Amino acid sequence: MGARLPQLAFPAVFERRLLIVSGKGGVGKSAVAASVALAAAQAGKRVLAMGMVDGLGLGLHLGVEELHHDPIRTTAGVMAATIDRPRALDEYLKLQLRVPKAAPTKQLTKALAVLVETAPAIREVVSMGKPIYEAGLPDWDLVVIDAPPLGQLISYLRAPVTLEGLLPRGIVQRQATFMRRFLASPMRSGLVLVTIPEELPIVETIQSLDQLANEPLIDLALVVANRVLPELDVDPNVIGSVENDDLRLAAMRHQTLFAHQQYWLDALDGAKVLPNLFGLLTPGEVSARLSSVWNVSE
Amino acid sequence: MSGTDVILVTGAGGVGKTTIAAALAVAAAAGGVRTLVVTVDPARRLADALGVGELGNQPLQVADVPGLWGAMLDVAASWEAIVHRHADPDIGDRLLDNPYFRAIADRFPAAQAYAAGEQMAEYVESHAWDLVIVDTPPAAGGIDFILAPGQMRELVGGRLLRWITGARLPARRTLFNVAARPALRLADNVLGGPLLAEIAEFLLDLRNLYDGMLVRSRSVERHLKAAQTVIVTNASPTPMSETRRFFTELPNGAVTPSVIVFNRELPHAWEGIAPPPRQPDIGAADWDALTHNLERWSAEAEHTAAARESLAARYGIPLASVPWMLDPPTDIPSLVELVRSAEGLTDVLLPNLPAT
Repeated sequence: MGARLPQLAFPAVFERRLLIVSGKGGVGKSAVAASVALAAAQAGKRVLAMGMVDGLGLGLHLGVEELHHDPIRTTAGVMAATIDRPRALDEYLKLQLRVPKAAPTKQLTKALAVLVETAPAIREVVSMGKPIYEAGLPDWDLVVIDAPPLGQLISYLRAPVTLEGLLPRGIVQRQATFMRRFLASPMRSGLVLVTIPEELPIVETIQSLDQLANEPLIDLALVVANRVLPELDVDPNVIGSVENDDLRLAAMRHQTLFAHQQYWLDALDGAKVLPNLFGLLTPGEVSARLSSVWNVSE
Repeated sequence: MSGTDVILVTGAGGVGKTTIAAALAVAAAAGGVRTLVVTVDPARRLADALGVGELGNQPLQVADVPGLWGAMLDVAASWEAIVHRHADPDIGDRLLDNPYFRAIADRFPAAQAYAAGEQMAEYVESHAWDLVIVDTPPAAGGIDFILAPGQMRELVGGRLLRWITGARLPARRTLFNVAARPALRLADNVLGGPLLAEIAEFLLDLRNLYDGMLVRSRSVERHLKAAQTVIVTNASPTPMSETRRFFTELPNGAVTPSVIVFNRELPHAWEGIAPPPRQPDIGAADWDALTHNLERWSAEAEHTAAARESLAARYGIPLASVPWMLDPPTDIPSLVELVRSAEGLTDVLLPNLPAT
């Protein structure tokens, strides 16, 4: 069932302006997104990290209690924010649609709030529009998004196309076209798909890759295999001869898990491997250690 | 006869909910309790082991275990089922064809959880089993399954409709006037299409589900409240934060978890273990690699112990632990072995089982 990953040589991951990090729940998406942002900031880039649906996991991994709509500076030099949808909608209306100031705002806002909750693609376009807008600003070299799992993310990525089909003309339609092109351009945007080498996450990743191949909404920048165990280079016969039960069982456990992981890794030829981190680490320590694995100029 | 008991098995994706649910079911059935285990997990191997691989909502008897039935819910069809159950026939068909309905259905995972809840209520009220064990949908995480009935009432009850019209339940003919309001016309001008009137029309149809759903959703909530809730977790950040949400985000008394299960635990003896003295017949390089390996897994075991203790100290809920097994359980004998080696699991959840 091996899936050959597309050639990832060009353009380099860190040359893009917008990186969207996604993957199945529980694979360490937020940690990877934070590590990418940290690595880029350490290399001197001006980085904005954004939690797309909530800022909880991303905030923890950047050492911040809570993220808000307005970016805050973390201790590691990354600016971090989350997307507050009513605020994003407000900005969208004012900055991008240039809704006149004299409009009866309260009633309009209420009506638009219903629209955002109900009409196909509007909510997704508002949420997707914010990071794309930021990525287009000269303030940032890189915008990193901690996105929902790909199943949900697809409806966000698809939203500009849906909206183009829904609205025959007008400024919203033109905005949607701009967003669709921004996402699909490998020079500007890229998807970072995170997985772990276990059956369900790998099977789902391969399904996601097939889906993206059929519906090229965004360029795949990189597949990341997270929590990969190091090899324990000891002959199985030697392990079998260990008399201490704990020592022998720990080695057998490691070998079993390692073999299992390698089997599933083989199905993802070409993935970037991030190491499993053992022990009592805070989320901030995890992302800091993972950030040292990235080579930003690569 | 005290009726049908319910055990809800919840937790973040990937923690082994389905395995724990299946193991509990096998243990209960072996103890003479007529048990139905309901799963929604897409991992086939375990479902195959239980013989429920190809099932729909209709429970089937598990071949090798007398007194055990299994069902695998088809959650993909959940919205359709809800609409057909609660809407007038012509309105139901119109709803299912509506593009706004599709958009709402796609982005409202509570519907999936709610449909599973309605199905659970049906099994319970059929009185065909002593015990129904529900493996909650992965998309619903932990507490979303419990909040789903209320969220569904909110949605179909017309919250959005009230925002547009300002009226509690407007008649269809007033919608035209509403849509002609200047603010709403401006909204449509900005968007380049007459969307709001269509949306109001759609929301009025959706409101038609409300009366049927009101009664049904209350009984789903009653069963959820009476159920024993199991939270399956491990020390990773996502499962831990899902677990904490049970205590921080649920309204008081909505549900009280009975036990938190740490699944696939490392041996407790590894916490802070010191490496043994060198075995003479093993080379120095090999010995270093082996002791370094034990130290790593010892650190992992300490991590889990700290996570376990933080939950115990904070919430005062019984904790159970299920040891890590070399091969993950995929058949009935290995599920029996899992229950046998677990601590604090069946004595909390199934206290009346005869000792085996």
